[in-house]
Amino acid sequence: MSAVQLAASSSQQRPHRRHSARPFVRLLVYAILLLGLAVTLVPFIWILLTSLKPASEIVRIPPTFFPERWTLDSYRTIFTDPKVPLARFYFNSAFVAISRVLITLFTSSLAGYIFAKYTFRGKNLLFGFILVQLMIPFQVVMIPAYLILVQLRLIDTLWGLIIPSMVDAFGIFLMRQFISTFPNDLLDAARIDGAGEFTLYRRVVMPNLGAPLATLGIFTFMATWNDYLWPLIVITTHERRTLPLLLTWYTSQHGQRYDLTMAASILVLLPILVVYIFFQRWIVRGVALTGMK
Amino acid sequence: MTQAVMARHAGEPRKERSGLRPGQRVFVWGALIPIFLYLGVFAVFPMVWVVVLSFFNYSPVRIGDGPLGLGGRNPFIGLDNFAAMFADTRAGQIFRISVKNTLIFAFLVLVVNLAITLPLAVLVESVHNRVKGLFRAIYFLPTVSSAVAVAIMWGYVYHPQQGLLNNFIKLIGLTPPKAWLTDPSAFVFGVPLAMIAVIIAYVWMDFGYNLVIFIAALQGIPHELRDAAHIDGATGWSEFFHITIPLLRPTLLLVCTLTMISSFQVFVIFQVMTGGGPQNQTRSLTMEIYENAFRYQAMGWAASMSLVLFAMVLIVTLVQFRILRTDWEY
Repeated sequence: MSAVQLAASSSQQRPHRRHSARPFVRLLVYAILLLGLAVTLVPFIWILLTSLKPASEIVRIPPTFFPERWTLDSYRTIFTDPKVPLARFYFNSAFVAISRVLITLFTSSLAGYIFAKYTFRGKNLLFGFILVQLMIPFQVVMIPAYLILVQLRLIDTLWGLIIPSMVDAFGIFLMRQFISTFPNDLLDAARIDGAGEFTLYRRVVMPNLGAPLATLGIFTFMATWNDYLWPLIVITTHERRTLPLLLTWYTSQHGQRYDLTMAASILVLLPILVVYIFFQRWIVRGVALTGMK
Repeated sequence: MTQAVMARHAGEPRKERSGLRPGQRVFVWGALIPIFLYLGVFAVFPMVWVVVLSFFNYSPVRIGDGPLGLGGRNPFIGLDNFAAMFADTRAGQIFRISVKNTLIFAFLVLVVNLAITLPLAVLVESVHNRVKGLFRAIYFLPTVSSAVAVAIMWGYVYHPQQGLLNNFIKLIGLTPPKAWLTDPSAFVFGVPLAMIAVIIAYVWMDFGYNLVIFIAALQGIPHELRDAAHIDGATGWSEFFHITIPLLRPTLLLVCTLTMISSFQVFVIFQVMTGGGPQNQTRSLTMEIYENAFRYQAMGWAASMSLVLFAMVLIVTLVQFRILRTDWEY
């Protein structure tokens, strides 16, 4: 829908507006946009450059912007630190994030499909309940959620980061909205061919959910990868830390060694930036369509 | 329960139009019952429990007599936790400071965010399609970054001697502040400097969301309206204030609500950048809840504060619904 509108607006607006803008105004617009770009990117570039400086250059006042001597020493120090088994921490973060993505996509699409395409008693009540869940911030229920995990003996486990968030109210809502636009004829045709209800979901509905599944999946992945508060509460053993926890711990150990802490920050940021570069269009479009936050 | 629900449905033949066929019934309830049982345990029960906890002086390190460890050494204290919020004690004072800080933070974030994203969205929308995508993609970059890394990064940017910001300020010939994050006597228009610093870092991290939403909304404005305004002689500013802003009203409302609600819940950037300091000037409500619940184990007290957070979110949401009723169509 947005693509169509975009095409329509660009083809019809440009002759009227864009070309009528005076060159000075257009120059000013680009200047402001480029300034914004600089403000957005310079902090990233700054910490990247810092991570490539030798330790002796870090403490210099005034500091250098570009390294006088380029070095990978800080990364080497982190990779060879026996207290920082990096592969372990990447695995922890990836395991939790991927598990949560798969489970969320399954439960959201299944419940979303049912709410979109079946009529049954209590449906509005149950869906209203899902909508109410959208309004409850995590911080409000985190204390009981923690106490439940204690009862389930899931404290200090990676499963403790997965199990409390297997059903996502927003995901169900998003999927229902999308599946509602599905033609019923398609489903009925498959029914006439003798497909069972679950087969229908798996073979007819799921393959047509590419766009919303990708959007929801990426958002769940990023939210989980970057999550800090809940892992901070649940995880206590060093080897079970996720990357954000590792980062604050590492910073507390090497407070003034900015070459090391910035290198560690880059190592945490890198995977999510790669994901972003590949899925950028889905992510931005997803926000535009859903107002996701 | 499954059987009961199914039996009731089976016993009502006259409802076949809106009901489910037997095969569908198994599928629908086979899927929904586990999902809602799960939500019962991980969504409803915690919500009830947090309300119950707020009436107790509960700490998980003490073992009570009753169910859920309540009673006995974790006594029922009625509304004492809520009374303590208004009491002239250290805990009450810090709680009130944290609510005040959270409100200041949310309000200023909203103002600064809108002041940047709304004009910027108009500018991005006005440039050629090919570069538009590039600008949008890069502006959105900070929002996908790990909040912890962003907080550590900005902590370094604000470093008094080595930081990027102070050296830039010196470079252009101005006098930078002594310390952005640790000087309790520095204020800007009555707002602590450390709070300003956190707000700048947070807006930097968060503005991409609103920007993308505004750009999408601007693309949805029918161009006939703008063309008509042009024929009537509207230009630049008057178009922005008389055409764009009124037509963006529903989006503006949504964005205000979402920004406000998410600002109430900010934890990481406070915790990592300032730890609530200096002298509690950046202590947020979520930090206060976290520290009381998980550092001091005062979970009853923290639960009652969680309910205050919930009330704040609820009020903003209800105000939004109220305003939304008088909606605008085009």
